[in-house]
Amino acid sequence: MKIRLLSTLSILFLASALSFGQKYITKTGHIWFFSHTPMEDIEAHNRQVVSSLDVSAGDMAFVLLIKSFEFKRALMQEHFNENYMESDKLPKANFKGKITNLKQIDFKKDGTYAAEVTGDLTIHGVTKSVTYKGTIVVKGSSITANAKFTIIPQDYEIKIPSLVENKIAKEISVTVDVVYNAN
Amino acid sequence: MAKRKKIITIGLVAVVLIAFVGFLFIKLYIFKKPDASVASKKPDVEITARDLVNSFETNEKSANTKFLAKIILVQGVVNNVAETKSDTASEITVYLKDKEETSGVMCSFNKSVLTKDQLKPGDSVKIKGICSGYLMDVVLNKCAIVK
Repeated sequence: MKIRLLSTLSILFLASALSFGQKYITKTGHIWFFSHTPMEDIEAHNRQVVSSLDVSAGDMAFVLLIKSFEFKRALMQEHFNENYMESDKLPKANFKGKITNLKQIDFKKDGTYAAEVTGDLTIHGVTKSVTYKGTIVVKGSSITANAKFTIIPQDYEIKIPSLVENKIAKEISVTVDVVYNAN
Repeated sequence: MAKRKKIITIGLVAVVLIAFVGFLFIKLYIFKKPDASVASKKPDVEITARDLVNSFETNEKSANTKFLAKIILVQGVVNNVAETKSDTASEITVYLKDKEETSGVMCSFNKSVLTKDQLKPGDSVKIKGICSGYLMDVVLNKCAIVK
């Protein structure tokens, strides 16, 4: 009960923050990755990314469930979860960071802005400090954030068996596409 | 002697053929198998949306061991139905939540399984899906409506 009350209070707090129009949120952000090798192309999509953007402080946060990544083939998804990502033990990946060029983005004016975000990315229980470039598109009451970057599985202690080494790219391309709405 | 050689040759050819057919079978059916449909599978757990959310809110760790990657049949009231579109695919998200609750169950459907106007807010439904975990809500993937 206590936890329920706490979570209710925190949501209320969040809601009050939202009502000032500072914080934008989405529960259906889209992040997908792509691995290309001459042997095989693999892609998986996650359309349930929770993300928040505080336009006054420039804070950006993302959290997603590893099991929400959907592959074309069931077996791939199984291997991804059980062998590589160990998603039973480590069900989430997240990012917490700040927009470094906040002054160059006018969230009150429609337009496309280049953005740079620096923060901590945690995948497979390993946290790395990263900086990525992307764009922010302001259009009316919605804000879209896009970014494309690469991730090296080895950096996050994701072990890929030598048997499938040739089928999985050394560098995985990740695309972020989230649309925030003012609540 | 010649007869024996012939039998060996035929045997060898047969083995190679069987191996080849087997290889094709594995390649085509097992490795390329699309996601097994949740709709035709028996649920591992039957629960109301409220109880499912409660168990994640009180102890996420124990709820994870209980529900993660399991087929859940969840019963609840539709709060809203949304469509998410992208270049590659579109999805329908049905959000189950009681009015007085703060979080609910997010159920995502492939667009071939459900269209947006099939459900409306206030409808009482039973949905079957695979549990991915808990963020702000409990997330179910590859959902199907249970009649």
